[in-house]
Amino acid sequence: MPRLRATVASFRHQAAMFLAEPQWLIPNIIAPFVLAMVVLMLYREPSPEAVLYAVLGGGMMGMWGNTLYASGFSIQSDRWWGTVDAIFSAPSPLIWIIGGRTIWNAFVGIVNGLFVLVAAMIIFQTPLEVADFWLFMLAFVLTLLSLAALGMLFSAAFVLTRSAQVLTNGLEFPIYVGTGSMFPIFLLPYWTHPLSYSLAPTWGIDAIRYAALPAYADGFAAGYWGDILYMSILALFYVTISIWLYKAVDHRARKTANLMRY
Amino acid sequence: MVDGDEVVIDVKGLVRKYHSTTGILHQKKKETVAVNNIDFQVRRGELFGLLGPNGAGKTTTIKVLTTLLLPTSGSVKILGHDVVKESMEVRKRIGLILGGERGLYYRITARQNLRYFADIYGVPMSIRDKRIEEVLERVNLLDKADTRVEDYSRGMKQRLHIAKGIIHDPELIFMDELTIGLDPEAARDARDMTKELVAEGKTILLTTHYMYEADELCDRIGVIARGKIVALDTPKGLKSLVKDTSVIEVEGFGITEKDLDSLKALDGVRTVTANMNEDKQTMRVQVGDPVSLLPKVTHLLEDRKVIGMKVKEPTLEDAYLWLVREDA
Repeated sequence: MPRLRATVASFRHQAAMFLAEPQWLIPNIIAPFVLAMVVLMLYREPSPEAVLYAVLGGGMMGMWGNTLYASGFSIQSDRWWGTVDAIFSAPSPLIWIIGGRTIWNAFVGIVNGLFVLVAAMIIFQTPLEVADFWLFMLAFVLTLLSLAALGMLFSAAFVLTRSAQVLTNGLEFPIYVGTGSMFPIFLLPYWTHPLSYSLAPTWGIDAIRYAALPAYADGFAAGYWGDILYMSILALFYVTISIWLYKAVDHRARKTANLMRY
Repeated sequence: MVDGDEVVIDVKGLVRKYHSTTGILHQKKKETVAVNNIDFQVRRGELFGLLGPNGAGKTTTIKVLTTLLLPTSGSVKILGHDVVKESMEVRKRIGLILGGERGLYYRITARQNLRYFADIYGVPMSIRDKRIEEVLERVNLLDKADTRVEDYSRGMKQRLHIAKGIIHDPELIFMDELTIGLDPEAARDARDMTKELVAEGKTILLTTHYMYEADELCDRIGVIARGKIVALDTPKGLKSLVKDTSVIEVEGFGITEKDLDSLKALDGVRTVTANMNEDKQTMRVQVGDPVSLLPKVTHLLEDRKVIGMKVKEPTLEDAYLWLVREDA
Protein backbone atom coordinates (compact mmCIF):
# COMPACT_ATOMS: atom_id res chain seq x y z
CA MET A 1 0.00 0.00 0.00
CA PRO A 2 2.82 2.55 0.56
CA ARG A 3 3.40 2.57 -3.19
CA LEU A 4 -0.25 3.22 -3.94
CA ARG A 5 -0.13 6.00 -1.36
CA ALA A 6 2.75 7.59 -3.25
CA THR A 7 0.60 7.48 -6.39
CA VAL A 8 -2.39 9.06 -4.65
CA ALA A 9 -0.14 11.72 -3.06
CA SER A 10 1.44 12.49 -6.42
CA PHE A 11 -2.00 12.79 -8.02
CA ARG A 12 -3.06 15.27 -5.32
CA HIS A 13 0.24 17.13 -5.47
CA GLN A 14 0.03 17.49 -9.25
CA ALA A 15 -3.49 18.85 -8.83
CA ALA A 16 -2.34 21.42 -6.26
CA MET A 17 0.53 22.53 -8.48
CA PHE A 18 -1.76 22.71 -11.50
CA LEU A 19 -4.38 24.79 -9.75
CA ALA A 20 -1.72 27.08 -8.28
CA GLU A 21 -0.35 27.99 -11.70
CA PRO A 22 -3.03 29.56 -13.89
CA GLN A 23 -0.67 29.72 -16.88
CA TRP A 24 -0.97 25.94 -17.20
CA LEU A 25 -4.41 26.62 -18.63
CA ILE A 26 -2.76 27.74 -21.87
CA PRO A 27 -0.92 24.52 -22.83
CA ASN A 28 -3.34 22.20 -21.03
CA ILE A 29 -6.76 23.55 -21.90
CA ILE A 30 -6.72 26.48 -24.29
CA ALA A 31 -4.17 25.29 -26.88
CA PRO A 32 -5.63 21.75 -27.28
CA PHE A 33 -9.12 23.26 -27.38
CA VAL A 34 -8.24 25.74 -30.14
CA LEU A 35 -6.52 22.99 -32.11
CA ALA A 36 -9.43 20.62 -31.75
CA MET A 37 -11.86 23.33 -32.80
CA VAL A 38 -9.84 24.13 -35.92
CA VAL A 39 -9.87 20.46 -36.90
CA LEU A 40 -13.58 20.23 -36.17
CA MET A 41 -14.25 23.16 -38.45
CA LEU A 42 -12.12 21.62 -41.19
CA TYR A 43 -14.11 18.39 -41.01
CA ARG A 44 -17.55 19.84 -40.76
CA GLU A 45 -19.89 18.14 -43.16
CA PRO A 46 -23.65 18.21 -43.50
CA SER A 47 -24.01 14.71 -42.05
CA PRO A 48 -24.62 14.91 -38.26
CA GLU A 49 -22.83 11.58 -37.84
CA ALA A 50 -19.70 12.94 -39.50
CA VAL A 51 -19.78 15.92 -37.16
CA LEU A 52 -20.22 13.64 -34.16
CA TYR A 53 -17.28 11.57 -35.42
CA ALA A 54 -15.17 14.71 -35.59
CA VAL A 55 -16.42 15.96 -32.22
CA LEU A 56 -15.36 12.72 -30.50
CA GLY A 57 -12.02 12.86 -32.29
CA GLY A 58 -11.58 16.45 -31.19
CA GLY A 59 -12.22 15.51 -27.58
CA MET A 60 -9.70 12.72 -27.91
CA MET A 61 -7.11 15.12 -29.34
CA GLY A 62 -7.60 17.40 -26.39
CA MET A 63 -7.06 14.49 -24.02
CA TRP A 64 -3.96 13.27 -25.80
CA GLY A 65 -2.42 16.73 -26.19
CA ASN A 66 -2.75 17.27 -22.49
CA THR A 67 -1.48 13.84 -21.45
CA LEU A 68 1.57 14.08 -23.70
CA TYR A 69 2.45 17.62 -22.72
CA ALA A 70 2.08 17.03 -19.02
CA SER A 71 3.93 13.68 -19.10
CA GLY A 72 6.85 15.38 -20.77
CA PHE A 73 7.02 17.90 -17.98
CA SER A 74 6.34 15.63 -15.04
CA ILE A 75 10.04 15.41 -14.18
CA GLN A 76 11.20 18.49 -16.05
CA SER A 77 9.28 20.67 -13.61
CA ASP A 78 11.13 19.01 -10.71
CA ARG A 79 14.37 19.88 -12.44
CA TRP A 80 13.24 23.51 -12.45
CA TRP A 81 12.16 23.47 -8.81
CA GLY A 82 15.32 21.65 -7.74
CA THR A 83 13.21 18.93 -6.12
CA VAL A 84 14.38 16.10 -8.34
CA ASP A 85 16.95 14.94 -5.74
CA ALA A 86 14.25 14.63 -3.09
CA ILE A 87 11.89 12.81 -5.46
CA PHE A 88 14.54 10.45 -6.71
CA SER A 89 15.91 9.63 -3.25
CA ALA A 90 12.44 8.90 -1.84
CA PRO A 91 11.79 5.29 -0.81
CA SER A 92 8.84 5.17 -3.23
CA PRO A 93 9.84 3.91 -6.69
CA LEU A 94 9.74 6.68 -9.29
CA ILE A 95 7.14 4.92 -11.43
CA TRP A 96 4.53 5.12 -8.65
CA ILE A 97 5.19 8.84 -8.24
CA ILE A 98 5.06 9.53 -11.97
CA GLY A 99 2.01 7.25 -12.21
CA GLY A 100 0.00 9.54 -9.91
CA ARG A 101 1.02 12.59 -11.88
CA THR A 102 0.19 10.95 -15.18
CA ILE A 103 -3.28 9.95 -13.98
CA TRP A 104 -3.93 13.56 -12.90
CA ASN A 105 -2.77 14.74 -16.32
CA ALA A 106 -5.11 12.29 -18.01
CA PHE A 107 -7.90 13.49 -15.73
CA VAL A 108 -7.30 17.08 -16.87
CA GLY A 109 -7.32 15.65 -20.38
CA ILE A 110 -10.84 14.28 -19.74
CA VAL A 111 -12.01 17.68 -18.58
CA ASN A 112 -10.47 19.17 -21.68
CA GLY A 113 -12.01 16.48 -23.89
CA LEU A 114 -15.46 17.04 -22.38
CA PHE A 115 -15.01 20.80 -22.76
CA VAL A 116 -14.27 20.37 -26.47
CA LEU A 117 -17.21 17.99 -26.82
CA VAL A 118 -19.70 20.35 -25.21
CA ALA A 119 -18.34 23.41 -27.05
CA ALA A 120 -18.43 21.56 -30.36
CA MET A 121 -22.00 20.37 -29.77
CA ILE A 122 -23.06 23.94 -29.06
CA ILE A 123 -21.15 25.45 -32.00
CA PHE A 124 -22.25 22.82 -34.52
CA GLN A 125 -25.65 22.39 -32.90
CA THR A 126 -25.16 18.64 -32.81
CA PRO A 127 -26.68 16.87 -29.82
CA LEU A 128 -24.57 13.97 -28.57
CA GLU A 129 -27.11 11.16 -28.54
CA VAL A 130 -24.98 8.19 -27.67
CA ALA A 131 -26.35 4.84 -28.68
CA ASP A 132 -25.43 3.19 -25.37
CA PHE A 133 -24.49 5.56 -22.55
CA TRP A 134 -22.90 3.00 -20.17
CA LEU A 135 -20.82 1.31 -22.83
CA PHE A 136 -19.83 4.77 -24.02
CA MET A 137 -18.66 5.66 -20.49
CA LEU A 138 -16.80 2.37 -20.10
CA ALA A 139 -14.95 2.94 -23.35
CA PHE A 140 -14.29 6.54 -22.37
CA VAL A 141 -12.76 5.69 -18.97
CA LEU A 142 -10.69 2.80 -20.34
CA THR A 143 -9.43 5.01 -23.14
CA LEU A 144 -8.42 7.57 -20.54
CA LEU A 145 -6.46 4.91 -18.65
CA SER A 146 -4.86 3.71 -21.87
CA LEU A 147 -3.81 7.30 -22.58
CA ALA A 148 -2.32 7.50 -19.08
CA ALA A 149 -0.45 4.24 -19.74
CA LEU A 150 0.89 5.61 -23.02
CA GLY A 151 1.83 8.87 -21.28
CA MET A 152 3.70 6.90 -18.63
CA LEU A 153 5.61 5.02 -21.31
CA PHE A 154 6.70 8.28 -22.92
CA SER A 155 7.48 9.95 -19.59
CA ALA A 156 10.09 7.24 -18.83
CA ALA A 157 12.04 8.45 -21.85
CA PHE A 158 11.46 12.07 -20.87
CA VAL A 159 13.03 11.51 -17.45
CA LEU A 160 16.45 11.10 -19.03
CA THR A 161 16.28 13.98 -21.45
CA ARG A 162 16.34 17.72 -21.08
CA SER A 163 14.63 18.03 -24.47
CA ALA A 164 11.18 16.89 -23.38
CA GLN A 165 9.53 19.88 -25.02
CA VAL A 166 10.94 19.00 -28.44
CA LEU A 167 9.81 15.41 -28.07
CA THR A 168 6.31 16.33 -26.93
CA ASN A 169 5.90 18.75 -29.83
CA GLY A 170 7.11 16.10 -32.25
CA LEU A 171 4.82 13.38 -30.93
CA GLU A 172 1.61 15.38 -30.76
CA PHE A 173 0.45 15.24 -34.38
CA PRO A 174 1.60 11.70 -35.25
CA ILE A 175 -0.66 10.41 -32.47
CA TYR A 176 -3.59 12.59 -33.56
CA VAL A 177 -3.29 11.14 -37.05
CA GLY A 178 -2.14 7.64 -36.11
CA THR A 179 -4.97 6.96 -33.66
CA GLY A 180 -7.66 8.06 -36.08
CA SER A 181 -8.64 11.09 -34.01
CA MET A 182 -8.50 13.45 -36.99
CA PHE A 183 -9.87 11.13 -39.68
CA PRO A 184 -10.43 7.39 -40.13
CA ILE A 185 -7.34 5.22 -40.25
CA PHE A 186 -8.34 3.58 -43.53
CA LEU A 187 -7.54 6.88 -45.24
CA LEU A 188 -3.90 6.52 -44.22
CA PRO A 189 -1.33 4.57 -46.28
CA TYR A 190 -1.44 0.88 -45.56
CA TRP A 191 2.09 0.78 -44.16
CA THR A 192 1.08 3.09 -41.31
CA HIS A 193 -1.65 0.75 -40.06
CA PRO A 194 0.56 -1.48 -37.86
CA LEU A 195 1.75 1.65 -36.05
CA SER A 196 -1.82 2.87 -35.58
CA TYR A 197 -2.95 -0.48 -34.24
CA SER A 198 -0.05 -0.61 -31.79
CA LEU A 199 -1.50 2.49 -30.08
CA ALA A 200 -4.10 1.62 -27.45
CA PRO A 201 -6.09 4.86 -27.94
CA THR A 202 -6.74 3.86 -31.57
CA TRP A 203 -8.86 0.98 -30.26
CA GLY A 204 -10.34 3.20 -27.58
CA ILE A 205 -11.53 5.81 -30.05
CA ASP A 206 -13.06 3.08 -32.18
CA ALA A 207 -14.85 1.62 -29.14
CA ILE A 208 -16.17 5.07 -28.17
CA ARG A 209 -17.52 5.53 -31.67
CA TYR A 210 -19.13 2.08 -31.61
CA ALA A 211 -20.96 3.06 -28.43
CA ALA A 212 -21.88 6.55 -29.64
CA LEU A 213 -22.76 6.24 -33.31
CA PRO A 214 -25.85 4.33 -34.42
CA ALA A 215 -24.17 3.74 -37.79
CA TYR A 216 -21.73 1.41 -36.04
CA ALA A 217 -24.53 -0.84 -34.84
CA ASP A 218 -23.78 -3.52 -37.41
CA GLY A 219 -21.38 -6.00 -35.88
CA PHE A 220 -21.44 -4.06 -32.62
CA ALA A 221 -20.64 -6.85 -30.17
CA ALA A 222 -17.52 -8.11 -31.91
CA GLY A 223 -16.36 -4.61 -32.83
CA TYR A 224 -16.87 -2.93 -29.46
CA TRP A 225 -15.65 -5.72 -27.20
CA GLY A 226 -12.78 -6.52 -29.56
CA ASP A 227 -11.66 -2.90 -29.32
CA ILE A 228 -11.91 -2.98 -25.52
CA LEU A 229 -9.88 -6.20 -25.37
CA TYR A 230 -7.10 -4.98 -27.68
CA MET A 231 -6.94 -1.64 -25.89
CA SER A 232 -6.67 -3.32 -22.47
CA ILE A 233 -3.94 -5.70 -23.63
CA LEU A 234 -1.93 -2.87 -25.15
CA ALA A 235 -2.37 -0.65 -22.06
CA LEU A 236 -1.16 -3.49 -19.81
CA PHE A 237 1.75 -3.99 -22.17
CA TYR A 238 2.64 -0.29 -21.88
CA VAL A 239 2.53 -0.48 -18.08
CA THR A 240 4.74 -3.58 -18.07
CA ILE A 241 7.26 -1.93 -20.37
CA SER A 242 7.09 1.25 -18.26
CA ILE A 243 7.93 -0.68 -15.09
CA TRP A 244 10.95 -2.18 -16.81
CA LEU A 245 11.92 1.16 -18.34
CA TYR A 246 11.74 2.98 -15.03
CA LYS A 247 14.08 0.43 -13.46
CA ALA A 248 16.47 0.99 -16.36
CA VAL A 249 16.04 4.76 -16.02
CA ASP A 250 16.81 4.59 -12.30
CA HIS A 251 20.02 2.69 -12.99
CA ARG A 252 21.06 4.87 -15.92
CA ALA A 253 20.34 8.15 -14.11
CA ARG A 254 22.48 7.02 -11.19
CA LYS A 255 25.24 5.90 -13.53
CA THR A 256 25.40 8.90 -15.84
CA ALA A 257 24.45 11.57 -13.28
CA ASN A 258 22.23 13.35 -15.80
CA LEU A 259 18.95 13.30 -13.88
CA MET A 260 19.51 16.58 -12.06
CA ARG A 261 20.75 18.57 -15.05
CA TYR A 262 18.35 21.06 -16.47
CA MET B 1 27.15 12.87 21.14
CA VAL B 2 28.74 9.70 19.82
CA ASP B 3 26.82 6.61 20.84
CA GLY B 4 29.22 3.68 21.04
CA ASP B 5 31.10 2.41 18.03
CA GLU B 6 28.27 1.44 15.69
CA VAL B 7 29.34 2.44 12.21
CA VAL B 8 26.47 3.98 10.24
CA ILE B 9 28.47 5.19 7.22
CA ASP B 10 31.16 2.87 5.94
CA VAL B 11 33.00 4.01 2.81
CA LYS B 12 35.79 1.86 1.42
CA GLY B 13 37.81 2.60 -1.69
CA LEU B 14 35.09 4.80 -3.19
CA VAL B 15 35.82 5.95 -6.73
CA ARG B 16 33.40 7.96 -8.83
CA LYS B 17 34.24 8.99 -12.39
CA TYR B 18 32.22 11.09 -14.82
CA HIS B 19 32.37 10.67 -18.56
CA SER B 20 31.55 13.40 -21.01
CA THR B 21 31.92 13.97 -24.73
CA THR B 22 32.61 17.11 -26.72
CA GLY B 23 32.16 17.81 -30.43
CA ILE B 24 29.74 16.27 -32.92
CA LEU B 25 31.65 14.80 -35.86
CA HIS B 26 34.92 14.27 -34.03
CA GLN B 27 33.70 13.36 -30.61
CA LYS B 28 36.22 13.42 -27.81
CA LYS B 29 35.57 11.50 -24.65
CA LYS B 30 36.71 12.95 -21.37
CA GLU B 31 36.96 11.19 -18.04
CA THR B 32 36.93 13.14 -14.80
CA VAL B 33 37.73 11.46 -11.51
CA ALA B 34 35.58 13.34 -9.01
CA VAL B 35 36.21 11.02 -6.07
CA ASN B 36 39.41 9.02 -6.02
CA ASN B 37 39.63 6.07 -3.69
CA ILE B 38 38.38 7.51 -0.42
CA ASP B 39 37.76 5.69 2.85
CA PHE B 40 36.01 6.93 5.95
CA GLN B 41 33.59 5.82 8.60
CA VAL B 42 31.00 7.72 10.62
CA ARG B 43 29.69 6.40 13.93
CA ARG B 44 26.17 6.64 15.27
CA GLY B 45 25.43 9.97 16.92
CA GLU B 46 28.40 11.68 15.33
CA LEU B 47 28.34 14.99 13.47
CA PHE B 48 30.85 14.48 10.71
CA GLY B 49 31.98 17.34 8.49
CA LEU B 50 33.19 17.05 4.94
CA LEU B 51 35.16 20.11 3.92
CA GLY B 52 36.75 20.96 0.64
CA PRO B 53 36.98 23.57 -2.08
CA ASN B 54 34.52 23.72 -4.99
CA GLY B 55 34.93 20.71 -7.25
CA ALA B 56 36.78 18.71 -4.60
CA GLY B 57 34.25 15.87 -4.63
CA LYS B 58 32.07 16.64 -1.59
CA THR B 59 28.74 16.78 -3.39
CA THR B 60 29.58 13.72 -5.48
CA THR B 61 30.37 11.83 -2.27
CA ILE B 62 27.06 12.89 -0.70
CA LYS B 63 25.18 11.88 -3.84
CA VAL B 64 26.71 8.41 -3.78
CA LEU B 65 25.97 8.06 -0.07
CA THR B 66 22.33 9.11 -0.60
CA THR B 67 21.88 6.65 -3.53
CA LEU B 68 21.55 9.41 -6.12
CA LEU B 69 24.69 8.23 -7.91
CA LEU B 70 26.26 4.82 -8.37
CA PRO B 71 29.88 4.44 -7.34
CA THR B 72 32.28 3.57 -10.16
CA SER B 73 34.05 1.22 -7.74
CA GLY B 74 34.42 0.65 -4.02
CA SER B 75 31.88 -0.13 -1.36
CA VAL B 76 29.48 2.14 0.52
CA LYS B 77 27.28 0.88 3.33
CA ILE B 78 24.71 3.09 5.01
CA LEU B 79 23.23 1.74 8.25
CA GLY B 80 24.48 -1.67 7.16
CA HIS B 81 22.84 -1.53 3.71
CA ASP B 82 24.70 -1.42 0.43
CA VAL B 83 23.86 1.74 -1.54
CA VAL B 84 23.87 -0.15 -4.85
CA LYS B 85 21.99 -3.34 -4.00
CA GLU B 86 19.72 -2.08 -1.21
CA SER B 87 19.05 1.50 -2.25
CA MET B 88 15.39 1.44 -1.15
CA GLU B 89 16.34 0.31 2.38
CA VAL B 90 18.88 3.14 2.54
CA ARG B 91 16.38 5.74 1.27
CA LYS B 92 13.85 4.87 3.99
CA ARG B 93 16.31 5.69 6.73
CA ILE B 94 18.15 8.77 5.55
CA GLY B 95 17.24 12.43 5.16
CA LEU B 96 18.73 14.92 2.74
CA ILE B 97 18.80 18.64 3.49
CA LEU B 98 20.14 20.91 0.79
CA GLY B 99 21.13 24.54 1.09
CA GLY B 100 20.24 27.21 -1.43
CA GLU B 101 17.08 28.68 -2.87
CA ARG B 102 15.84 25.65 -4.78
CA GLY B 103 14.44 22.29 -3.66
CA LEU B 104 10.89 23.26 -2.67
CA TYR B 105 7.63 23.69 -4.54
CA TYR B 106 7.17 27.46 -4.35
CA ARG B 107 3.63 27.65 -5.68
CA ILE B 108 2.13 25.65 -2.84
CA THR B 109 2.20 26.09 0.92
CA ALA B 110 4.70 24.73 3.41
CA ARG B 111 2.07 22.33 4.74
CA GLN B 112 1.32 21.03 1.23
CA ASN B 113 5.04 20.57 0.59
CA LEU B 114 5.48 18.61 3.80
CA ARG B 115 2.35 16.51 3.24
CA TYR B 116 3.62 15.45 -0.16
CA PHE B 117 7.09 14.55 1.11
CA ALA B 118 5.59 12.76 4.15
CA ASP B 119 3.50 10.62 1.81
CA ILE B 120 6.26 9.65 -0.61
CA TYR B 121 8.72 9.12 2.25
CA GLY B 122 6.31 6.72 3.94
CA VAL B 123 5.33 8.56 7.15
CA PRO B 124 2.47 6.43 8.56
CA MET B 125 -0.94 7.96 7.76
CA SER B 126 -2.00 7.71 11.41
CA ILE B 127 0.69 10.17 12.53
CA ARG B 128 1.28 12.17 9.35
CA ASP B 129 -0.64 15.34 10.18
CA LYS B 130 0.60 15.38 13.79
CA ARG B 131 4.15 14.90 12.57
CA ILE B 132 3.78 17.81 10.13
CA GLU B 133 2.56 20.04 12.97
CA GLU B 134 5.49 18.98 15.18
CA VAL B 135 8.06 19.59 12.50
CA LEU B 136 6.57 22.96 11.54
CA GLU B 137 6.62 24.00 15.18
CA ARG B 138 10.16 22.81 15.53
CA VAL B 139 11.40 24.97 12.65
CA ASN B 140 9.22 27.86 13.84
CA LEU B 141 6.99 27.96 10.76
CA LEU B 142 3.69 26.89 12.28
CA ASP B 143 2.13 30.34 11.90
CA LYS B 144 3.18 30.47 8.23
CA ALA B 145 2.27 26.86 7.45
CA ASP B 146 -0.48 27.83 5.02
CA THR B 147 1.46 30.55 3.22
CA ARG B 148 2.87 29.82 -0.21
CA VAL B 149 6.61 29.14 -0.12
CA GLU B 150 7.22 31.83 -2.76
CA ASP B 151 6.32 34.41 -0.11
CA TYR B 152 8.93 33.09 2.34
CA SER B 153 12.23 34.79 3.15
CA ARG B 154 15.46 32.92 2.39
CA GLY B 155 15.82 31.94 6.05
CA MET B 156 12.26 30.59 6.22
CA LYS B 157 12.88 28.52 3.10
CA GLN B 158 15.96 27.02 4.71
CA ARG B 159 13.97 26.13 7.81
CA LEU B 160 11.42 24.44 5.57
CA HIS B 161 14.29 22.55 3.90
CA ILE B 162 15.21 21.23 7.34
CA ALA B 163 11.58 20.29 8.06
CA LYS B 164 11.38 18.45 4.74
CA GLY B 165 14.59 16.53 5.47
CA ILE B 166 13.41 15.31 8.89
CA ILE B 167 9.70 14.79 8.18
CA HIS B 168 10.14 10.99 8.14
CA ASP B 169 12.33 11.01 11.26
CA PRO B 170 15.47 9.60 9.61
CA GLU B 171 18.31 8.10 11.64
CA LEU B 172 20.97 9.65 9.44
CA ILE B 173 20.81 13.13 7.91
CA PHE B 174 22.92 14.54 5.11
CA MET B 175 23.25 18.32 5.01
CA ASP B 176 24.81 19.86 1.93
CA GLU B 177 25.83 23.52 2.39
CA LEU B 178 23.14 24.04 5.00
CA THR B 179 23.78 27.72 5.66
CA ILE B 180 24.85 28.91 2.23
CA GLY B 181 23.45 32.36 1.46
CA LEU B 182 21.79 32.81 4.85
CA ASP B 183 22.07 35.97 6.93
CA PRO B 184 23.92 35.52 10.26
CA GLU B 185 20.74 35.13 12.31
CA ALA B 186 19.20 32.55 9.99
CA ALA B 187 22.52 30.68 9.83
CA ARG B 188 22.67 30.61 13.60
CA ASP B 189 19.11 29.21 13.74
CA ALA B 190 20.07 26.49 11.28
CA ARG B 191 23.16 25.59 13.30
CA ASP B 192 21.11 25.49 16.52
CA MET B 193 18.63 23.09 14.88
CA THR B 194 21.53 20.93 13.76
CA LYS B 195 22.84 20.77 17.32
CA GLU B 196 19.39 19.81 18.61
CA LEU B 197 19.18 16.95 16.12
CA VAL B 198 22.56 15.61 17.23
CA ALA B 199 21.49 15.93 20.87
CA GLU B 200 18.52 13.69 20.03
CA GLY B 201 20.88 11.02 18.76
CA LYS B 202 20.73 11.65 15.03
CA THR B 203 23.85 11.10 12.98
CA ILE B 204 24.71 13.94 10.62
CA LEU B 205 27.08 14.31 7.72
CA LEU B 206 27.54 17.95 6.87
CA THR B 207 29.36 19.74 4.07
CA THR B 208 30.18 23.40 4.43
CA HIS B 209 32.52 26.10 3.23
CA TYR B 210 32.37 27.93 6.52
CA MET B 211 35.21 26.92 8.82
CA TYR B 212 33.80 28.48 11.96
CA GLU B 213 30.63 26.44 11.35
CA ALA B 214 32.59 23.21 11.02
CA ASP B 215 34.65 24.12 14.07
CA GLU B 216 31.52 24.84 16.12
CA LEU B 217 29.49 21.83 15.03
CA CYS B 218 31.61 18.87 13.97
CA ASP B 219 32.95 16.05 16.09
CA ARG B 220 35.28 15.04 13.28
CA ILE B 221 36.13 16.52 9.91
CA GLY B 222 37.30 14.95 6.67
CA VAL B 223 39.08 17.39 4.39
CA ILE B 224 38.67 16.47 0.74
CA ALA B 225 40.76 17.96 -2.05
CA ARG B 226 41.12 16.87 -5.67
CA GLY B 227 38.92 13.85 -4.96
CA LYS B 228 40.97 12.52 -2.07
CA ILE B 229 40.63 12.78 1.67
CA VAL B 230 43.77 14.63 2.71
CA ALA B 231 43.04 14.75 6.45
CA LEU B 232 40.54 13.27 8.86
CA ASP B 233 40.55 14.34 12.49
CA THR B 234 38.76 16.34 15.15
CA PRO B 235 38.75 20.14 14.67
CA LYS B 236 41.33 20.34 17.44
CA GLY B 237 43.47 17.68 15.77
CA LEU B 238 43.31 19.50 12.44
CA LYS B 239 44.31 22.77 14.08
CA SER B 240 47.27 21.05 15.64
CA LEU B 241 48.57 20.39 12.11
CA VAL B 242 49.43 24.07 11.95
CA LYS B 243 50.34 24.55 15.60
CA ASP B 244 53.88 25.61 14.69
CA THR B 245 52.43 28.20 12.34
CA SER B 246 51.48 31.81 12.96
CA VAL B 247 49.34 33.99 10.81
CA ILE B 248 50.18 37.54 9.85
CA GLU B 249 46.91 39.23 9.01
CA VAL B 250 47.24 42.34 6.86
CA GLU B 251 44.57 44.87 5.91
CA GLY B 252 45.24 47.64 3.44
CA PHE B 253 44.61 49.49 0.20
CA GLY B 254 46.34 49.24 -3.18
CA ILE B 255 47.68 45.73 -2.60
CA THR B 256 48.05 43.93 -5.93
CA GLU B 257 48.24 40.34 -7.18
CA LYS B 258 51.94 40.98 -7.83
CA ASP B 259 52.39 41.77 -4.14
CA LEU B 260 50.79 38.43 -3.30
CA ASP B 261 53.23 36.63 -5.59
CA SER B 262 56.13 38.47 -3.97
CA LEU B 263 54.85 37.50 -0.53
CA LYS B 264 54.49 33.86 -1.53
CA ALA B 265 58.09 33.90 -2.77
CA LEU B 266 59.47 35.04 0.58
CA ASP B 267 61.51 32.42 2.37
CA GLY B 268 59.54 31.12 5.37
CA VAL B 269 56.05 31.90 3.99
CA ARG B 270 53.86 28.79 3.82
CA THR B 271 50.64 29.98 2.22
CA VAL B 272 49.03 33.30 1.42
CA THR B 273 45.28 33.76 1.06
CA ALA B 274 43.72 37.06 0.20
CA ASN B 275 40.43 38.79 -0.23
CA MET B 276 41.19 41.27 -3.00
CA ASN B 277 38.23 43.61 -2.93
CA GLU B 278 38.58 46.77 -4.99
CA ASP B 279 38.19 49.08 -2.03
CA LYS B 280 40.11 47.08 0.59
CA GLN B 281 42.33 44.02 0.60
CA THR B 282 42.90 41.55 3.42
CA MET B 283 45.55 38.84 3.49
CA ARG B 284 46.41 35.96 5.77
CA VAL B 285 50.06 34.97 5.52
CA GLN B 286 50.95 31.69 7.20
CA VAL B 287 54.51 31.72 8.45
CA GLY B 288 56.68 29.58 10.69
CA ASP B 289 58.56 32.41 12.37
CA PRO B 290 56.57 35.64 12.54
CA VAL B 291 59.34 37.56 14.28
CA SER B 292 61.71 37.25 11.32
CA LEU B 293 58.98 37.51 8.65
CA LEU B 294 57.13 40.56 9.97
CA PRO B 295 59.85 43.10 8.94
CA LYS B 296 60.09 41.49 5.49
CA VAL B 297 56.33 41.71 4.95
CA THR B 298 56.32 45.31 6.17
CA HIS B 299 59.15 46.17 3.79
CA LEU B 300 57.45 44.51 0.85
CA LEU B 301 54.26 46.49 1.41
CA GLU B 302 55.87 49.80 2.33
CA ASP B 303 54.46 51.57 -0.76
CA ARG B 304 50.93 50.38 0.01
CA LYS B 305 48.55 51.87 2.51
CA VAL B 306 48.50 49.25 5.26
CA ILE B 307 45.87 49.98 7.90
CA GLY B 308 46.43 46.97 10.12
CA MET B 309 48.89 44.15 10.62
CA LYS B 310 48.49 41.57 13.39
CA VAL B 311 50.07 38.26 14.30
CA LYS B 312 47.40 35.69 15.19
CA GLU B 313 47.09 32.10 16.30
CA PRO B 314 46.10 29.75 13.44
CA THR B 315 42.43 28.78 13.10
CA LEU B 316 40.73 25.78 11.55
CA GLU B 317 40.55 27.80 8.34
CA ASP B 318 44.34 28.09 8.30
CA ALA B 319 44.68 24.35 8.79
CA TYR B 320 42.18 23.79 5.98
CA LEU B 321 43.95 26.18 3.61
CA TRP B 322 47.23 24.48 4.36
CA LEU B 323 45.73 21.07 3.58
CA VAL B 324 44.01 22.03 0.32
CA ARG B 325 46.78 24.22 -1.10
CA GLU B 326 47.56 23.53 -4.76
CA ASP B 327 51.11 22.31 -4.15
CA ALA B 328 50.15 19.88 -1.36
